[in-house]
Amino acid sequence: MAYLSLSNISKQFADAVVVQDFNLDIEKGEFVSFLGPSGCGKTTTLRMVAGFEVPTSGRIILDGADITDKAPNQRNVGMIFQAYALFPNMTVSQNIGFGLRIRKEPESAVKERIAEMLSLIHLEKHADKYPYQLSGGQQQRVALARALANHPQVLLLDEPLSALDAKIRVSLRSEIRAIQRKLGITAVFVTHDQEEALSISDRIVVMNEGREEQIGTPFEIYNFPKTAFVANFVGTLNTAEAEMVDPGKGIIKMDGVQFESANQVDGQMKGDKVFIAIRPERFSFASEQKKANVVDCTIENITFLGSVVRIQITIGKTKFNMDTFNNPFLELPKIGNKSQVTCSREAVLILDRK
Amino acid sequence: MKFFSWLRRARLWSGFWYMLGVLYFILPLYATLDFSLRIERDKISLLAYQKAFADPGFLQTFVYSNILAIITILVGLILVVPTSYWIRLRLPEARRVVEYVTTLALVIPAIVMGFGLVSVFGAPIKVPFTSIQLTDSLLNSPVGTNFIVVMGYTVLALPLMYRSIDTGMRTIDVRVLTEASQSLGANWFTIIVKVILPNLRASILSGALLTFAIVVGEVTISSILNVPAFSPYLWLLGQHKAYEPAALSFASFLLIWASMGIIQIVTGGRPQAAGAK
Repeated sequence: MAYLSLSNISKQFADAVVVQDFNLDIEKGEFVSFLGPSGCGKTTTLRMVAGFEVPTSGRIILDGADITDKAPNQRNVGMIFQAYALFPNMTVSQNIGFGLRIRKEPESAVKERIAEMLSLIHLEKHADKYPYQLSGGQQQRVALARALANHPQVLLLDEPLSALDAKIRVSLRSEIRAIQRKLGITAVFVTHDQEEALSISDRIVVMNEGREEQIGTPFEIYNFPKTAFVANFVGTLNTAEAEMVDPGKGIIKMDGVQFESANQVDGQMKGDKVFIAIRPERFSFASEQKKANVVDCTIENITFLGSVVRIQITIGKTKFNMDTFNNPFLELPKIGNKSQVTCSREAVLILDRK
Repeated sequence: MKFFSWLRRARLWSGFWYMLGVLYFILPLYATLDFSLRIERDKISLLAYQKAFADPGFLQTFVYSNILAIITILVGLILVVPTSYWIRLRLPEARRVVEYVTTLALVIPAIVMGFGLVSVFGAPIKVPFTSIQLTDSLLNSPVGTNFIVVMGYTVLALPLMYRSIDTGMRTIDVRVLTEASQSLGANWFTIIVKVILPNLRASILSGALLTFAIVVGEVTISSILNVPAFSPYLWLLGQHKAYEPAALSFASFLLIWASMGIIQIVTGGRPQAAGAK
C-alpha cells in the first residue's frame, strides 16, 4: 500500500472539469513533481491533498487513513506557497513556532524545534527579523522551516520557486531537495518548469487537461516520452509528419527521406500516418563510421547559446534543430552549405499523435 | 530662458494656491483660538477654557459621547472585519453590493435616518404578522434608546470603517495567509485573532478614530433621540454663551489632531504588511 494514494480523483468547478480521473501512488520519502502547463489541474490536485479543495469524486488516502473530507487544519500536511505567505506581524522564529504553539507544545520544546529548524535553513542570525527585512529566497526558506517544524506527513510545494530570480531558484531548488532527502519526508512539488521538475524529482507526473499524461522518472520522461504532449512539453523536440513504410523494421519516410527507428508503436500498419520526433542533441554531423540514418541537409542558421550551439537545418522540406556542445575548437559549417547529419535508430521516436 | 521664466511663474502660482489653501484652513481656526482667549477685556486669558471645563454638563456629555463612541467602534469592528474578510476570501462578487450598502449612510440625510429610527423602534416590537409583543417601545428605556443611538452611529460610520478595513485587507494577501495558517493547524478563531487582526492594526486604528470623530461630532440623531451627547451640548452652549463654545471647539480640534498623530505614529513605524512580497 502506497503512503499517499490518490485514486480516481476528479474535480469540477461550476462548468469546468479541472481534474479528471487522476490516479497516483506515492511511496514514503519520495519526491514527486506535477509538471504541466497552466490550467492543467496540477495546483488543484495539490490543493486537494492539502484540503483547500474537496474532490468531486475519488479518495485520498494518507498513511492508511482516508483524509478526503478532512479540513485542512485537521491534516498534518506542510504547505509552501509561491507567495511565501509568511505572517508579516511575526518574526522568523514566531513564524516557525506558529504551528507548534497552536498544538500547545511545551514552550521549551517549541524553542528547541525553532533552533533546530533555523540551523537547517542556515538563518540562525535572522531569528528576530521580520519577513519584510528578508530577501525572497530567505523568506521562502523560512516558509520551508515553518512547514517542516510541525513534522508534517507530506510536504506540498506549490510553485515555490517561481517568484525568485534565476540564480536563487537553482540554489534553493537543490537546498529543498537536500533537506527533503535528509529528513526523508514525502514531498509533492508543483511546477510548470520542466528543468526544475527534471532536476529535483524522483518521479514526475506530466499533466495535461486534468489528466496524467505520463508518470515516470525524469530519465524515462525525457528519454522515452509516451505521448507527443510529453515529448513536446519536456525539453525541445523536433516533430514531423511521416509515413510508415515498414512497421517490422521500423522504416519511415518523411518528405521522401528515409529514417530507421528502434522505437515502435504497436498496431502501426504500412502506409499509416505517424509523427517522428528527434531531440536536437541526438543529431550529429555524419562521419564515415555511421551507417543508419545518414541524411542530407542544408544549414539554415546558427545560434550561439553559451554551452550549446543550436544549428537549424532543413531535411527534405522540414526544419529541424540540432544541438552540439560548444568548444573553442568547434568548426561550424557555413550558413547555406549542404551537409550530412545522422542520428541513432534509438533517437528516432515514433508518436501516434501530435 | 522663456522656459525658466515660465517655470518661475508656475512655481509662484502653485505657491499662491498652496498659501490660499492653508489660509482657508488656518484662518478660521486661528480666529476661534483668538476669540476663545478674549473673554476678559484687553487681556489674553484661559478663563473661557476654565469655565467650559468646569461646567458639569461638559464632563457628563463628553464622557457619554466617548463611551458611545467606544461601543460604536466595537460594534462596527465586529460587523465589518468578518464581513470584509469573508468577502475577500470567498465572496469577491459580493463586494460591490456591500460597498453600495455602506455608502447609503452618505446618501441618506441623518435627519431622515433619525426619524426612521424613531418611527421603527418607537413602536412596540412584535413578532411579524402576529400581535405577540416581544418588547415595549425601545425608546421607553435608557438602554433601549442608547442601543438605537449606537445603531444609528454605526450606520453613519460604516462607510469610513468599511473602507479603512477593506483597504487593510487588500494590502495583505488574506487568502494565502489564511491557507498557510490552516495548513499549520489553526482554526478560524486563531486565524482571525492571531494572523488577520494584527496585520490590520493600522487600518483598524484609522477606522476606529474616524468613527470616534463622527460619533463625538454627531448632532442630528443625538438631538432627535434626545440623548446627552457632546455635540448637542456644544450647540446648546453656543445659543447663550460666546466664548466657551469657541474654547471647546478648539479643544476638540486638538483632540482630533492628537488622534491623527497616533495614526501616524502607529502606521509609520514599519510597513503594515509585507504581505505576499
